[in-house]
Amino acid sequence: MRDPEAAATLWWLDEFSRAGWVGDPVSVITFERVTKRYPDGTVAVNALDLEVPAGKIMVLVGPSGCGKTTTLRMVNRLVEPTSGQILLDGKDIREQNPARLRRGIGYVIQQTGLFPHRTVEDNIATVPVLNGWSRAKARARARDLLKLVGLDQALARRYPYQLSGGQQQRVGVARALAADPPVLLMDEPFSAVDPIVRASLQDQLIALQTELHKTIVLVTHDIEEVIKVGDLVALFRPHGRIAQLGTPERLLGAPADDYVAGFVGFDRGIRRLSFFSTASLSLDTGPVLSANATVASARASGEPWILVADGKPRGWVQPDKLGQYQDGTLLGQVPAEPIGHTFTVGTNSLRAALDAAVLSPAGQAVGVDGYGNVVGVATFDRLRAAVQAAQTAADAAAALEPSESGAPA
Amino acid sequence: MMWSWIAANGAQIWQLTWSNIILGVIPPLIGLAISLPLGIIAARWRWFYPPTLTVVNVIYAIPALALFIALIPALGLTDTNVIVALTLFSLCVIVPNVIAGLRGVPPSVRQAATAMGYGALRRLITVELPVAVPVIMGGLRVAMVSSISLASVGQLIGVSSLGYLFIDGEQRDFPTEIYVGLVLIIALALAADLILVGIRRVLTPWMARS
Repeated sequence: MRDPEAAATLWWLDEFSRAGWVGDPVSVITFERVTKRYPDGTVAVNALDLEVPAGKIMVLVGPSGCGKTTTLRMVNRLVEPTSGQILLDGKDIREQNPARLRRGIGYVIQQTGLFPHRTVEDNIATVPVLNGWSRAKARARARDLLKLVGLDQALARRYPYQLSGGQQQRVGVARALAADPPVLLMDEPFSAVDPIVRASLQDQLIALQTELHKTIVLVTHDIEEVIKVGDLVALFRPHGRIAQLGTPERLLGAPADDYVAGFVGFDRGIRRLSFFSTASLSLDTGPVLSANATVASARASGEPWILVADGKPRGWVQPDKLGQYQDGTLLGQVPAEPIGHTFTVGTNSLRAALDAAVLSPAGQAVGVDGYGNVVGVATFDRLRAAVQAAQTAADAAAALEPSESGAPA
Repeated sequence: MMWSWIAANGAQIWQLTWSNIILGVIPPLIGLAISLPLGIIAARWRWFYPPTLTVVNVIYAIPALALFIALIPALGLTDTNVIVALTLFSLCVIVPNVIAGLRGVPPSVRQAATAMGYGALRRLITVELPVAVPVIMGGLRVAMVSSISLASVGQLIGVSSLGYLFIDGEQRDFPTEIYVGLVLIIALALAADLILVGIRRVLTPWMARS
């Protein structure tokens, strides 16, 4: 179900369908025994079998030289396979003229590849113009896309050199989406921008995908990006073999071998917590006292640490260290230690909750609701219990879907 | 300096200046028209590049006067002779710049254009050549200035230009004439260069102003 605003942004989808430019809204990409061998004998991709399901984000990850980018570029025929075939919705991509094929496949690269001599709107309008749209109509479309990727329409007449790196990358995404292609190829799209901009671009991609449901192949070397945006992940070994294919959670939770475990890193256990919700984490309200409560009540609680809160969390105090204060002093008036950061219950993952506990002087994570009001606190013990429960549940679920994990021979 | 000489010979000076403009400006423009296809071929097919570069370099090594004389049997003591010779010289600067300009198109831009669904020809005309304009214009500027200056050498085979003022001034031991010729050639070269810079700016609103 689309909300009304999203539907308004996407008016052109209907127009596209009416004009017959869009067949199926989403496509399946299938690699069948695809090999790419270069003239010097290097094997970049080796007998690859891979299916990218319609409407999903498939992340290709691996060390440099593992063939992930070659794999991506074979989809729009920038690289031709030596043997095997690639199917788009069951049809061999070689049946179509390459230029026609490419106009139906969005392409986003790290260096953006924006045309420096064209304004932002004309960059975005590239493929619609190639498809025979009038310039005026294509530009109108370009302005809609600017909005879609979160850019101010005032940028439409600027040239690429006048934009920041993050803005350029957004324009690159808008350009790739301009003709509403069912397939999007993204080659390290967010690697060249700083971490804050990267996080916002990733959020944008996730938001776009919930509306657009493209079939996306995304290449990265960043395991965090896999965790954040991937529906599925294919981890490549050098020379184009897949070491493990499955969900990012399975990659972290059940690495197929030492190579996979080594690639995802020593902190794969921590990273995997990104997939586990805090919704079922049981929180403790015992150590939470109002700022209007007295020092006496803190002492009486028997807790080593008290979270002082007036709706919002204010800080941690240690009753043992309050000797200089009289029983009647209010907790809001004694110095408190900062809480570090909180986690939003149900929204943030166990990873965020664990991090909050690690950074807290009390060793307890402060859970808040959507308004920032304290719900309760979680000790390491409670977090550990939640982690174990979530892992058990995930492993049990994975056992029921054997196709989702394990490496092809 | 005899300022009165300038006033007295205004008509002749203007005529020589005009001849020099024609002889100097036309060759680089023809040279550009020839360099574009040559440069495109050399940028596209790498094997074509070394022989092209060798040929234009050899031409550049020929003294201007020697080339004028070598062309006399075919073209006589004519404007055409000078224009052909200077066109050949202008190739030496413009062809390498066309190649450099096209090769300087960032690979990511070329790859993106291909991936958007451009055919090779359309990509060349609507993406690669426009992006190469600044480098090509750089070559055209050098060719233009050198051509305007070399046009005066044509006077040695009797083709009228500001070079007349040097020869006549030297023979009559009359420095004013030489200075006037020198100043006018430099002024012409500067003016032509400024015009080309202006054209480049109009063609490339997308470049960062430095």
